[in-house]
Amino acid sequence: MQKNKAHEIICAVRAAAAKRGIDATFTLHCEKSHLMRIGNNSVSLNTSEILTRLDIGVINGRRTGSHTQMGDVTSQEYVEKALQIAVDKAEVASEKDYQPISAIIEAAVDENSQYDKALEQVDPSFKADAYRQIIEKVGESYNFSGSWSSGSVELFMVSTANDLTVYHLATDQDFNVVLKHPKKKWELRQAKTGWRLADFNVNDVVDGFKKLLPVYENHQGFKLEPGEYTVALGSSALAEVLMMACYTGFYGRTYEEKQGWTSKNKKGDKVLGSNINLIDDPTDDKTFTFGFDLAGKTRALFPLVKDGVMQNMMYDIHTAAKYGRELTGHTGGSTSIVMQPGSALPDLLAAVKDMGRVIYIPALHYLNMSNPSQGVFTGSSRFNAVLIEDGKVVGPIFSSRITDSFQNVFGNVRLISSEAESVNLSNTYGRRMPEASSMPGYVVAEKVKITDSADSF
Amino acid sequence: MTLSADLKKQILQNIDRVGTKGAEYTDARFYTNDDSETLFLYDGNLEANDTNFESGLGVRVLYGGAWGFAATSDAKAFDTCFEQALQNAITASKLVRVPLHMGKKPAHTGKFASPLKQDPFTVPLKEKLEFLSAIDARLKEDWIFKRYVYAEFQKKNIYFFNSEGTQVERSLSNVFAKMMVMALDSDGQMQRRSQDLFTTGKGTRGYEMLTQPELFSAHAERIKDELAQLIKADILEYGKRSVILLPGQGFLQVHETIGHPLELDRILGYELSYAGGSFVDLDSFGKLRYGSDKLTVSAFGSIENSPGSFGFDDEGTPERDYLLIDKGMLVNALSSRAMIDEANQKAGRTVFTESGGAARATAFYRAPIDRMTNVNILPGNDGTLEDIIASTEDGIVLDNPVSWSIGSNREHFHFSCEIAWEVKNGKKTRILRNPSYQGHTVEFYNSLSAVGDASTWHVGQVDNCGKGEPNQIMQLGHGIPVVRFDNVITGERK
Repeated sequence: MQKNKAHEIICAVRAAAAKRGIDATFTLHCEKSHLMRIGNNSVSLNTSEILTRLDIGVINGRRTGSHTQMGDVTSQEYVEKALQIAVDKAEVASEKDYQPISAIIEAAVDENSQYDKALEQVDPSFKADAYRQIIEKVGESYNFSGSWSSGSVELFMVSTANDLTVYHLATDQDFNVVLKHPKKKWELRQAKTGWRLADFNVNDVVDGFKKLLPVYENHQGFKLEPGEYTVALGSSALAEVLMMACYTGFYGRTYEEKQGWTSKNKKGDKVLGSNINLIDDPTDDKTFTFGFDLAGKTRALFPLVKDGVMQNMMYDIHTAAKYGRELTGHTGGSTSIVMQPGSALPDLLAAVKDMGRVIYIPALHYLNMSNPSQGVFTGSSRFNAVLIEDGKVVGPIFSSRITDSFQNVFGNVRLISSEAESVNLSNTYGRRMPEASSMPGYVVAEKVKITDSADSF
Repeated sequence: MTLSADLKKQILQNIDRVGTKGAEYTDARFYTNDDSETLFLYDGNLEANDTNFESGLGVRVLYGGAWGFAATSDAKAFDTCFEQALQNAITASKLVRVPLHMGKKPAHTGKFASPLKQDPFTVPLKEKLEFLSAIDARLKEDWIFKRYVYAEFQKKNIYFFNSEGTQVERSLSNVFAKMMVMALDSDGQMQRRSQDLFTTGKGTRGYEMLTQPELFSAHAERIKDELAQLIKADILEYGKRSVILLPGQGFLQVHETIGHPLELDRILGYELSYAGGSFVDLDSFGKLRYGSDKLTVSAFGSIENSPGSFGFDDEGTPERDYLLIDKGMLVNALSSRAMIDEANQKAGRTVFTESGGAARATAFYRAPIDRMTNVNILPGNDGTLEDIIASTEDGIVLDNPVSWSIGSNREHFHFSCEIAWEVKNGKKTRILRNPSYQGHTVEFYNSLSAVGDASTWHVGQVDNCGKGEPNQIMQLGHGIPVVRFDNVITGERK
């Protein structure tokens, strides 16, 4: 499906390359990005970028080369020149000891079901006005910061293997605002995500802050001593931990190379608790959905963990080639990881009223794997973290570090919220490529290890 | 590549035009080229053989105390780009509680080029691959499960102009490289040893740096030998002891717990929603005893060969050598013009006298923010590594990070490392695996008890420091000697 002149040019060069016997893949990535940043109750940066990148990959026998060029595609000569750079690189490259897999567009795709023109064209003054309302309604005496990224991505991809094309057009936004008390130093956050402008509602943000503020204004912080605690992880913390668990446990690369925490297991082994179910679902509208990956493979529902049992590994085109595996739709692009909700009440406080002391950690900062082979991760609490006793919030906790394993945390989950939430996982490094997961609003796990805490928030 | 006279004229005319529409300050950075090349040999297979070419214009306009930024890769859209940046600033100015100011600076001109003998982009691909393949062949052993060696080359030509009349031309080159070997230990868990290309701070930073054996390739046999011992080693037991950080670990400790907390935009709260804040505040300067009196930390440090030496920052401010921490006392920050103006106003006194020249942008399509340059611990008087080991009763020597996790205000941290050597009664005894340590920043630096001499000091190159929104990857350096800290929590509690 050729949408514009650039697509026609790329298809023409693709056809000519195919005739010459070149094995090449062409991917055009166009983004319209806007980001507003807030600091000290003011707009600190208001930036817009319109950028186009052309990626060309070439396979020559067992040799490969690739080239990326930024700039508008306005002529056949421009694309041919970029192709020649990749061809030349592949010519000189050393041979691999396995046969690389050629990207093949498996089926034509033309998708724009998550495109909202209103979001793509939103006037920056709409964002500035929303931040102004939040500051004025919650209180000028607090220090507000935040960022609001929005934009659209167009992906167009062809290969010399056939005449099919895939096209993706979608919008996304990632809003957050942080409130910091200028003297007491605690920080609260509200976040919104989605592919429609209407997914953002300023009143929800204001109400969210107003609900939390009395807890923080009226209580001192608690310092947790190292030990084992019953911990409720909010959707954001959950997404962070589970994405790391997926990356180090369910990706073919880490599995085949024995670098992850599932390396000693095989499909069919129980690796997490029986109440844990994970799938990659590229149709879940709480995620940013992609119908194809960057190898041209059509993406479909892909179970990872069912009732705690490992089901599948995700393979990219390079790992699949190296280890002789099938492509699974996980070459580049974004996943749509979904953790199945459970049966617990959506209201966390009501759900834990008979559980005594519970530490609620909605978000984790600077998560990392201190021992990938053992599945040990570490990260510290941030934003809105509180101590709950008998279903009542007692007060905020100081910055506290969890150092524990996926197997322990997700082997001891007692409650899973029945409601799912969308968690934006996008970053704005390099090109725009939105990613989100769908997570239960919270899970409550027992015997979670808190290993350190600061004397402040 | 050079900037054509016509494009330069167009940029200068647009800066004037935006000024007549009320802009308080405007700057423009035009990248004639921003090229990179990555070569990655994994188990001998060339998995990455990539080039990336970019060029374009980034425009920043200060209007009504607020920044607007716009960028384009389309040379025909320069006028529109200036207009968009102005409009973005006008919109931003509608929500300003703390107006930003650049302060006035006289116009100046300048040129800078990274010192190099051989531009890596002129070296034939075949030659580069032969060089890396030769290292790969040296790493290969039957018992080694995985191995890799990679190199990355970067080259950018940047023309800077601002509304004060300053014009700066820079040609920046970087070479990064790393090799790693991995093998399964007695518990079937993966262990690894690695070596990054480093610099002595002297010399040139072209392709010739990569091929200097002592800076990179000569370490192949050593890391293999250490890995062979590591996979049979005991696990480090939990406990408090001294930690001696080699520069391969010390650079990241400094990066995360001195560099980031001293970025002035973080201190002022501009990174709260993403990277985090800082436990340091404006009252801390001149008062906070950050570390023991053995700790002296510089910015830039007059290092001629480092990714953190770049002549002028992305506001045109020339780099200068200054102290961040003087004999343990916090004295300065990593800063840019608007941030020092705001900090001084907020503090009601002159905390900072001039910009630290640390406004840096990763590409033409990103606006400059406060970044690290070279952040260095100055060499001390406690001798060589052997001298420091000899004076240690109970400790471990640590090298190379595996993981790092830092509190949101940089007040506490947790690191795990590739390897530890146990030290008992002044002697290195055995290798230990799965080492980790944690601490609280100020308490940790105040436990600094030994700083190695110049023979232990080298510059660690960082090619992937992330910060900011939109996110920006930055290259920088850390000149670090061997350092020892006492009474540190090491290993994991059972």
